Amino acid sequence: MHPRIYRITQFTTIMKEITSQPQIELVFDPSNNTTTQSQSHCDPPVAKKCSLSFSLTPILTKFHAGYFRISLSLCSQALLWKILGEPPHNAHALRQLFSFLPSTAFALLWSIALSTLAFLSLIYILRCLFHSEMVKAEFLHHVGVNYLFAPWISWLLLLQSSPFITPKSVYYIVLWWVFVVPILVLDVKIYGQWFTKGKRFVSVAANPTSQISVIGNLVAARAASKMGWRECAIIMFSLAMAHYLVLFVTLYQGLAGSNSLPAMLRPVFFLFIAAPSMASLAWVSISGTFDNAAKMLFFLSLFLFLSLVSRPNLFRKSMKKYSLVWWAYSFPLTVLALASAEYAEEVKGGMAHVLMLGLSALSVLVSLALMVFSATNTNMLVLDTLPVSTTNRSSDSQQSDSVPIL
Amino acid sequence: MVMENNKFMDHAKQNSPEEIPSLLQFLSSNEVEGFDIVGGKKGLNNQSQPSEIKPLNSSAMVTDTADVQSQSKESHHHRKDSVSISMPSSPFRSDEFQTPKSVAFNLSEKESSTMISDSTAGGIPMHAKSHSQPIPKGFVVERTVENINFTHHPSVASRFRDRRFDSFKTWSGKLERQLTNLRGGRPQEVGPEEETKKSEMETNLPVDRYFDALEGPELDTLRASEQILLPEDRTWPFLLRFPVSSFGICLGVSSQAILWKTLATSESTKFLHITPLINLVLWFIAVALVVVIFSVYLMKVIFYFEAVRREYYHPIRVNFFFAPWIALLFLAMGVPPSITKTLPGALWYVVMTPIFCFELKLYGQWMSGGQRRLSKVANPSNHLAIVGNFVGALLGASMGLKEGPLFFFAVGLAHYTVLFVTLYQRLPTNETLPKELHPVFFLFVAAPSVASMAWARLQGSFDYGARIAYFICLFLYFSLAVRINFFRGFKFSLAWWAYTFPMTGAAIATIRYSNEVTNVVTRILAVTLSSISSLVVTALLVTTILHAFVLRDLFLNDIAIAISEKRPKHHHHRKWLHHLRHGSSDHKDIENYLKFSPEGKYVEACVDPRSTENEESIENKV
Repeated sequence: MHPRIYRITQFTTIMKEITSQPQIELVFDPSNNTTTQSQSHCDPPVAKKCSLSFSLTPILTKFHAGYFRISLSLCSQALLWKILGEPPHNAHALRQLFSFLPSTAFALLWSIALSTLAFLSLIYILRCLFHSEMVKAEFLHHVGVNYLFAPWISWLLLLQSSPFITPKSVYYIVLWWVFVVPILVLDVKIYGQWFTKGKRFVSVAANPTSQISVIGNLVAARAASKMGWRECAIIMFSLAMAHYLVLFVTLYQGLAGSNSLPAMLRPVFFLFIAAPSMASLAWVSISGTFDNAAKMLFFLSLFLFLSLVSRPNLFRKSMKKYSLVWWAYSFPLTVLALASAEYAEEVKGGMAHVLMLGLSALSVLVSLALMVFSATNTNMLVLDTLPVSTTNRSSDSQQSDSVPIL
Repeated sequence: MVMENNKFMDHAKQNSPEEIPSLLQFLSSNEVEGFDIVGGKKGLNNQSQPSEIKPLNSSAMVTDTADVQSQSKESHHHRKDSVSISMPSSPFRSDEFQTPKSVAFNLSEKESSTMISDSTAGGIPMHAKSHSQPIPKGFVVERTVENINFTHHPSVASRFRDRRFDSFKTWSGKLERQLTNLRGGRPQEVGPEEETKKSEMETNLPVDRYFDALEGPELDTLRASEQILLPEDRTWPFLLRFPVSSFGICLGVSSQAILWKTLATSESTKFLHITPLINLVLWFIAVALVVVIFSVYLMKVIFYFEAVRREYYHPIRVNFFFAPWIALLFLAMGVPPSITKTLPGALWYVVMTPIFCFELKLYGQWMSGGQRRLSKVANPSNHLAIVGNFVGALLGASMGLKEGPLFFFAVGLAHYTVLFVTLYQRLPTNETLPKELHPVFFLFVAAPSVASMAWARLQGSFDYGARIAYFICLFLYFSLAVRINFFRGFKFSLAWWAYTFPMTGAAIATIRYSNEVTNVVTRILAVTLSSISSLVVTALLVTTILHAFVLRDLFLNDIAIAISEKRPKHHHHRKWLHHLRHGSSDHKDIENYLKFSPEGKYVEACVDPRSTENEESIENKV
């Protein structure tokens, strides 16, 4: 058998094992591949299928919804730049600074975000077509399923930051429906599972990535209130907040079940920041002013940010080597910066503007650094450089990491 | 003195015919002064009666006498074994302690009281565990001794200190040993067991050890199978016995000052004609208390930092580290109008900074899900860690600040929600939740009452948000009050003071509410709650005085800080027994179920269990 097919079949076998075998089977030692390879022989139909779609298969098999972290970051950056680039009339001097940013920079960023998102979406659609069983496995995974929200959130963010579609236009409304319906369907599925289905109740299924589902609703609420649909916005907002309350309490309790996030995935703890900030943004656009409720949500987000930043040991293990999960840092920081921009606009104090400036600079820097890291570590990101014959330890462990993460 | 000792002998014979220590036999044929002062060469007794030292000629005597002799913290005797001779001593009343010579006798008082009770109850083995023992009687004498010692603490007395307490000192005695050597004192050789003790002290205790070794609603009594690092049979140095929960007294008194200020200044309680003088007096008492307790605890931080560290890692005591700062906030709120009406804004920032730092630490531990995740350590005393936010918000808002108070209110509200739900759930994984009702549950009332006032201040009026919080507080208060019967039968502890301020807070909130809705019902409610809180504080004051001066057990040995890091050998057996006793074997099953549920297998599979454990241990050090 061709070595590449070995790898592929091995991978698919592992995928099957994940869904069927008890956990001890999964901890395979990268040094002795012989056992897993011998297992792969017993599954000829999968190998045959893989060899048919030869060129795309490695991409499609390795791809997963977690890659939409990149588009989330880029789209939220685009929104941040858009909001910062349009200072209100009586803005603070520090805010006026941003109006010197060339508008072409924003247009460039927006188009980069658009193309990235379109590219990722295309790949994912292909994956759905050719490897629906893998998508299904992702859907059943308690971390992976939450990233199915990510593409729709990215599209909604991109829609809100779009330079040429105004919120009142028909395109906006149509696109809003297109992107919100999948979110609602996923909501019904996931939230329903939390309190009805026997084995997926919330104390077991909840993990920090579950907050993406809440964020999805909040982004939709913000977009709806921008186009003037206040009732829809309130529906989405209340739906999100009710489940956010449950989720926040459950996550904070640190029950044994929700405590089982692998160390490599620790950066997603930053999503703790994103949800209250997004809620604050949504509430501002619904209520029209940055009132006390919005402030409290923003302050909670700020406190969680400080709390996470002050314990770097939590992230030490995941920071040893570049991985895709790093992109999880960028999106929450950007959302926090967005909320701080709204806050500074309301409070108009010097401190508030310094805070906004600092958080915006931080989020931009983090995003830039992540882009640079991703560009220099393309062999881990770009999929067709999948190591074929090399059986060195690093690539294997990389793969074994990415399997359960999905 | 001879007569006393004869009495003492008689009693000893009655009580324990089966084994009379050689010391007693020796003593019966020797004069008594020798007993008092043996080994006192280096001690304080030395100072009071230096001329009476008589060297003992019986070599077998020396160790035994030392054990008996040195129970006070001043016993600078140096010994390695902790064998207690279970010395039955005289049934002295405290009024019989008149000569300074008698100091040495109070050492075995604890034993003696057991012996007395034993003799009435029938033959119980003599080495009953001391943690269950009531009431040593030599308190006043000890206190005087301590006060004397205080003045020459580091310089004179350090040379002669009992080395077993060294491991709890700030530099674990290293610096002091060097100083001793410099001064030309004899070099103290360190035995192997001292070394192991020291190494135990340097690592942080995992939280599980606290749960395994201690029991009781405040985790302050030792389980029967456990051993502690410090001698159980003797009274420890005062600073080691001074727990951080003493700051509860400040909370109780300073909140009373606020209550009387509110009573004197509110519209709705004008008809009572309360003089603002009460507030003034209470406030000065509170200031004095805060100063005294702060300085004593500061000394503990300086001299026994290890003990403070162990209190900080104690899952319940850590919440009391918020108490001093909350007490300061209370003082600022209760400041009498005759002294000042406006406080500088900088004060608020200064006091809130330590609260903020503790919060970052504690809430971060809850969130990041290590050993100290909330589902494991949640306890009503966590309310102390929450309520600081609301108190800070209240003070800041009444000082005219805007954004800072709202920040703390938001943080407090979010974490209060989490804690409230967690405590109501009574998760089986919660190890410290008291099985039955306990005064600590009154802390439930604290957060909503203060939150309602804080929200009213932030909004500028007692609006619906404030009312909702207030009614929640009222409901919780009543639901606890109707169960008042269950509060009987608990051992008094100093921490109870901390549980009075929620009642005071509820009373103040009621006065605020009756300002808004003024009618007969609200006025009656305000007066009732205020008088209940004042009565409770008075009762507690009487109890404290009783314990301090009559029963003399206010500051018992603080077992909670001295637990050993190693598990006892028969640990598993005991655990199993424990489960059987409490009938809660399903406890572990649930946790196991959560851990190994079908969802769990994906993620758990890719984590090397060893690495996870390492990481958890790292996190706990953060």
